[in-house]
Amino acid sequence: MTIWWLIVILVTLGTIGIAVVWLIAKFSHLAQNDSKRGVNQLLDSANTDVEHIFNDEFREELRNRGRLHFEKIIGENAMFLQQDLRLTTSQLNEYMKQELSSTLRQEFSKYEESITDAKQLAIDSIEKTKQTIEEQRSLLGEQLSSEVAAEKQRLIERFEQNMADIINHYVLDAIGKQIDLNDQLEYILSELEANKHAIAEDISHGA
Amino acid sequence: MEHKNYELPLQVVSKGDVMKLKRELSALDEYVREAEMRGSGAQLKSLPKTSSSLNEFSSINHLNMLKGENRESGIAFLDTLIEHAPVVRISFASEPSNTFMRKIDKWFRDNVDPYVLITVGLEPSIAAGFTLQTDNKYHDFSLREHFINRKALLINSIKGVKEQNTSS
Repeated sequence: MTIWWLIVILVTLGTIGIAVVWLIAKFSHLAQNDSKRGVNQLLDSANTDVEHIFNDEFREELRNRGRLHFEKIIGENAMFLQQDLRLTTSQLNEYMKQELSSTLRQEFSKYEESITDAKQLAIDSIEKTKQTIEEQRSLLGEQLSSEVAAEKQRLIERFEQNMADIINHYVLDAIGKQIDLNDQLEYILSELEANKHAIAEDISHGA
Repeated sequence: MEHKNYELPLQVVSKGDVMKLKRELSALDEYVREAEMRGSGAQLKSLPKTSSSLNEFSSINHLNMLKGENRESGIAFLDTLIEHAPVVRISFASEPSNTFMRKIDKWFRDNVDPYVLITVGLEPSIAAGFTLQTDNKYHDFSLREHFINRKALLINSIKGVKEQNTSS
């Protein structure tokens, strides 16, 4: 029972609320239409007043003043801009000078350093080459000395051999025809006697 | 050899001499046989003139060349000698005389082999001495070889002279 009453009360309250909201919305819409209409009337009257106040002569005057003021401002700004431009140019020149000088100094320093390094490298390389050449020269000198000594020894030995051959040939040629074969008989028989066994053995094996 | 009772005369030195002796003996044998055949049984009183080698060969071996068996035996001996006798080649700086060669030949037959045959060569470059060549070996007993063997001594002598000259 109580629940049914409660439901009826809630439904009633909801209906009343909806009706109140609808009424408020309706009234506010009407109020807005009235205010718009009033504003438009005010704007029309203001425009009419403005047309009366700002007529063509006044506008021309304002335009001339504005032009003069604008030219003055433009002139002042041009002067300031020129001053700023000169200042900026001089600063830029100074800055460029400094930067260029600094860069050039750095580059020259690097260049000088590179040249110094290259010079040092060249000097080192020349020193090494010189040292290598000196070693090679020393080695070649030793080799040449040993070769010369060996060649000298070979020549001496060859000379001695040739000299011995020459002497032998000379002696054989000189005395060969002077020795009578009959004078050699004793020598020949003694040589045969000394090698008798070898000769007999050769002959017995060969026969 | 089979014919030990036969000796070679000393003047028969080389194989050429033996072949020459054999040819002469064969010719003699043929001559005697022909004469016997022509004479129809008549005895041949004397032989034709023969070389001193053949004379000596028959003399030292007591061979009667009128007898056919002696001649045949001699020819067979010489054939065997030509085929099987040991041969040595001996060279001198100059041409040896016959007397010289007989002495050499005698030494070989007395000391090495009684049937050895010697071929004589001429080699002037050896100057003196001789070279001996058998079937197996070559023996050089020349002055040239002697000099070659003592070449080191000569070189040392040259060095000694050179050092003396250098020091002085």
